[in-house]
Amino acid sequence: MKNFLAKDSFLISTMDQKQKGQSLFLSLALIVFFLLSAFTFFNAFYGFVDAIGSIVSGSPDVAIKDLIRSLPLILTALMGIWTLLLLQASFRNDPERRLRSIKKDAIVILAFAGINILYVLIGRFAGLYLSLVEGSPSAIYPLDSVLYSLLYVALGVFTLLYLAKWQEKHPYLVPSRTPIVKKARFVYCFGVGIWFLIALYSCAAFLFGLFIIDFAHSYAFYSVCLLLVFLTASLSLAIWEFYYNELKEEKKKEVLLPLAICGLAWSVLVDVLYFVSLGLNLDGPSNIGFGLLPVAFAASVNIATMLVVFTPAIVSLVALIKGILIRRK
Amino acid sequence: MKNKLPLVLLSFIPMVLASCGEVIKYEEHLDDYVYEMTYRDGFNILQLTDIHWNNNSSTMASKIYLEKVIDEAARHAGKIDLVELTGDLFMLANSYHIDTFLDFIEKKASQYDFRYATIWGNHDHHCLYNPNLLSKRFAEAPHSIHIDPNDDLYGRSNFVINLKSGGQTKWQIANLDSGASFSETALSPFRDYDYIRKDQTAWWLKEHEKVGDTVPGIAYYHIPQDENRKAWEDVSEGATYKNRFFKLEGFGDNGGEEYASDFLDVASQHNLKAAFMGHAHNVDWTVDYPFDNGHKVTIGLGVKTGGELYYAHIKKDSEDPDMQKGMDSVNIHEDFDLIGASLVSLKNEGGDFDLEHLYLNERANEDFIRWVTY
Repeated sequence: MKNFLAKDSFLISTMDQKQKGQSLFLSLALIVFFLLSAFTFFNAFYGFVDAIGSIVSGSPDVAIKDLIRSLPLILTALMGIWTLLLLQASFRNDPERRLRSIKKDAIVILAFAGINILYVLIGRFAGLYLSLVEGSPSAIYPLDSVLYSLLYVALGVFTLLYLAKWQEKHPYLVPSRTPIVKKARFVYCFGVGIWFLIALYSCAAFLFGLFIIDFAHSYAFYSVCLLLVFLTASLSLAIWEFYYNELKEEKKKEVLLPLAICGLAWSVLVDVLYFVSLGLNLDGPSNIGFGLLPVAFAASVNIATMLVVFTPAIVSLVALIKGILIRRK
Repeated sequence: MKNKLPLVLLSFIPMVLASCGEVIKYEEHLDDYVYEMTYRDGFNILQLTDIHWNNNSSTMASKIYLEKVIDEAARHAGKIDLVELTGDLFMLANSYHIDTFLDFIEKKASQYDFRYATIWGNHDHHCLYNPNLLSKRFAEAPHSIHIDPNDDLYGRSNFVINLKSGGQTKWQIANLDSGASFSETALSPFRDYDYIRKDQTAWWLKEHEKVGDTVPGIAYYHIPQDENRKAWEDVSEGATYKNRFFKLEGFGDNGGEEYASDFLDVASQHNLKAAFMGHAHNVDWTVDYPFDNGHKVTIGLGVKTGGELYYAHIKKDSEDPDMQKGMDSVNIHEDFDLIGASLVSLKNEGGDFDLEHLYLNERANEDFIRWVTY
């Protein structure tokens, strides 16, 4: 275990002070924007689930009305997610492509933010919003989405006017990550995309859960297990991003199999615990946990819950297969 | 820090245990579930149901609509004594929605001098707040009636309102938490809608016995029980039970026979006159259902209040026979939305009451307002 955490296993051990500073800045930015994105994504997801509920209940007109009103929630979620893409673009190998990606992502963020500000202002004049502080989901909605957008306008402008130019002069020196094999790019991006969204959602669900889950009566065991499910789903991505991806290439090959086995064992344990606790509280989710499992509730099915529950196990299983294949080579 | 991790984790245990508190036995605290109000002939109960405030709701627009409904009901009835909020007040909402709703309803309660009672539906805990916070806020609001002891009784909103006159209870209004949903097994892919459990029936019986078996009662809860479906099947097969209003979707599946509630069957033998619920927005169908034991209970869904989530659009040219049947029953042959409220007026101590459904739609020129008597 000590071997897996040894300083010389990590890319950072090959960096000079300046590179370390850049790397730390990037990691901090990823954490901050991941948390922001988790909450805005969760909020948008709530509105989206409600609209889906209207559609499946035969009122698409209500869904359209709701989505028109809640478009700022979706746009704010997209701003955060695109900022994470921008930060990820910093790991690109080719400096020119890296710069192009960063500029492109900054323009997309600016577009989302600009559209949102205009949308709310026009919406107010057109009567879509009875007030700029009409309320729901917060006391100052949709004004809060405008203020939030202004932050992203600042971020986009800063990136285009300063960061991109600065990068041209001072190329980012942190070692880049292994490029994705072209033929598997779609499957890889799709798989990681789903995993990322579930982890994003689970991160917000875990943090909200600490405050909203009811530990009273006989629900304590189920409550703890549900929190573990969300924690595991979000931690799986954090370990991949902040541990595995920070390792040197040769170390990655060495670590993958044991990491996958540990991940799988932990995920299976959490899954078993979850289903045992559910068996003891068959009404548990609806009484304490459904605020965190909106899709499961809206559709009256457990499948969506199972998607969150099984994701870390699936990720570990994929890593296990990859680890075995690497060892065979 | 690594060495301190077990200590940090251990510190969660007392936190969890402390939050559990002392669980009381309901049988030993029957008085804790009782709220008393003054009875008068003509005591009016306005039922608002399935308001469904959520992240997408314009609470400002919704408040304008709710205000119109309450104002119209007060104008029509002369006085509203009690408002029954029969579940799904919130869905995918947060504490902002609780505070905003309470501010609104408290203002209306002060204006018209009514009390309001809340029971939870299958979506009220489907939100970003702790269920205990929800109960606490409603229990503390000045005009609110909400009782939620930390007890061994299933559900979080079981209580009775005894309507008294001259020291005697003349009517008893029961509020029961019909839960949300449950899995039949841990690995079931689907959930069943919850049902009123046997311990809740036993609790109701004890509360009713305390005021006297001859006292007429009305029950309010959220999820329809099996009797709604049975009554509809009987009527569809030609039974001539008195019935009225719209039935444009199912009532919600409580699962297999083993999950059927005994509440209505038992309560019907103890002077329960009516049971009103919510849940299915496209239904306000009401029927006088005769039980095998010879007693009859009026069972009906309240009219969905407000335009959140979903509701039925009644179309005069619809080819749906159930819609046509509904329109014939209410004698309205024009387009409107099935939203509004329901009003019960207690006529006398003998257990007679009137029921009216209000359909209120906001329109550009003049709002659509119709009252239909059951």
